[in-house]
Amino acid sequence: MPTTESFAAVHATTVLDRTELAPGVILLGFYAPQLVRVTRPGQFVMAVPPAGERCATALGIYEAQDERASILFFVCGPRTRELAQVGVGEHLAITGPLGNGFDLSGGARNVAVVAGGVGIASVLLPAKAALAGGARVRLYYGARTEVLLVEREKFAAAGCEVLCATDDGSFGERGYVTELLARTRDVPDLILACGPSPMLRAADAVAEHIGVRAQLSLEETFACGVGGCWGCVVPLDRASAQAPAFPGPAAGGSDVVFARICKEGPVFWSDELRW
Amino acid sequence: MDLSVRLGALELPYPTLMGSGCYGSGEEYSPLVDMRGLGGIVLKSVTRQPRLGNPTPRLVQTPAGMLNAIGLQNPGIDWYLEHDVAKFAMRPCKMIGSVAGFSVDDYAYVTERLAARDEISAIELNISCPNVASEGETFACDPQLTARVVSAARSMTGKPLIVKLSPNVTNIGAIACEAEAAGADALAVINTVRGMSIDVATWQPRLGNVTGGLSGPAIRPIAVLAVYEVARAVKIPIVGQGGIETIADALEFFLAGATAISIGTANFTDPRIPLRIVEGLTEYLTQRGLNSIADLTGKANRGFANPFQYEGDEG
Repeated sequence: MPTTESFAAVHATTVLDRTELAPGVILLGFYAPQLVRVTRPGQFVMAVPPAGERCATALGIYEAQDERASILFFVCGPRTRELAQVGVGEHLAITGPLGNGFDLSGGARNVAVVAGGVGIASVLLPAKAALAGGARVRLYYGARTEVLLVEREKFAAAGCEVLCATDDGSFGERGYVTELLARTRDVPDLILACGPSPMLRAADAVAEHIGVRAQLSLEETFACGVGGCWGCVVPLDRASAQAPAFPGPAAGGSDVVFARICKEGPVFWSDELRW
Repeated sequence: MDLSVRLGALELPYPTLMGSGCYGSGEEYSPLVDMRGLGGIVLKSVTRQPRLGNPTPRLVQTPAGMLNAIGLQNPGIDWYLEHDVAKFAMRPCKMIGSVAGFSVDDYAYVTERLAARDEISAIELNISCPNVASEGETFACDPQLTARVVSAARSMTGKPLIVKLSPNVTNIGAIACEAEAAGADALAVINTVRGMSIDVATWQPRLGNVTGGLSGPAIRPIAVLAVYEVARAVKIPIVGQGGIETIADALEFFLAGATAISIGTANFTDPRIPLRIVEGLTEYLTQRGLNSIADLTGKANRGFANPFQYEGDEG
């Protein structure tokens, strides 16, 4: 996740399409050619709906092609409820792209992409980038139930092998997606994961167990999204290339620093996290 | 239209400051905003020693606002002076240092060292911190502690000194008087309002630090009243702040008695809001045939009808 120049800007976008993929799961496509040109896989945006309390919500960039980018989200609170009200032709303020994305510069040939629930929203672009780089990509995709395994056909159509798990066994294996990964005989040489924190911690443990490095896209409540407020930190090894460049408290003498998920992340090497 | 204002010897081309802790070092927002249109940036608070800050979660969204408990994460004054401050010279607006501490001596020490740098135009004292020597009492909540901290910092610099007051007091006017008498050039009114939020699913406080500071539109009426009260108590200029998002919000603060305003949480929704407020002020003053911010400051401030009626307002 090398820190590169920021091309972030505030974009006044227009919603092109709105699809309810499942009850409470919304895909919003919007017109943002400048954003598309500079987006790297794994980056995110802050989206502000035109009405309501107008709070900014951090969302992974799901698709970015030609003149259209999209976000995919589950309605789970006041901010996403407001976003879900935005219709085709309406305006959506989008700040981005923000953060550092996944690092595919290592030349991995066999990539495991692990997504839990809405985590699917941040992994389509890195999956496609890995495929474009000539890697074999297998998507391990978990959700509570079949209807929430949205967009899996899109990953298959892009060329991913798709393995699913559901909590209730309604589709694929019953259980957690990380258990699928733990049992695999097709050991990848790189893991890219996005999902709820418990899933990411499990992915971290599996990665360590099978001896494969993993990049995790983390989530935390953001206020600014650009590194200005220090609200979204995660403990990180001070030796990490992503550690913010200042020493921690001298009294503690600790080798851990707090890194901003929005600025230094949101993607971190799992073996450098101290969470 | 000339929108310039003065806070003591600090001259600002526009009456808009970016609130401390909301705008990092300015660098974070530089791709998004033309900073030539900002009055100034109040930097994130710096302390004598480095601080790791609070455990997460540090932020919680609440109705019309948010709670934060960052815990003053910062690299400490030594590292800050060596690595960060030189970069401030590149910003095309005034850079105001923010000093926090846990003893009177901390404030004096950090103020002296930070104010000595040319890149820093003024110092804001963040006195909403606990005093280790008096069992953690907050400096800003005690008139005598406020006076001692401001005097100590005053003796260390001739640069403009802005003292940020806490709303978590019974009589903010009395604290404001102490700060003025001790040598403050201006007062920032208000810091965040103490609050907390509990997750009813887990029965746990939502913030890692349990308590936090409430900001955003939820606190605006509290802030407007505080500015109104402070403006009646002191002669030095006031930087009004607390939930300002629009030109109308900004006007409320000027009319209550503010000379400048500070924008914090609103930047999280849209970093162009400070520029829009400047545009709106130009338009407003022009339409009304007014010449400057001074034509607005305190113009709604006509005291309280009578003390008994004021008490009754709360019922």
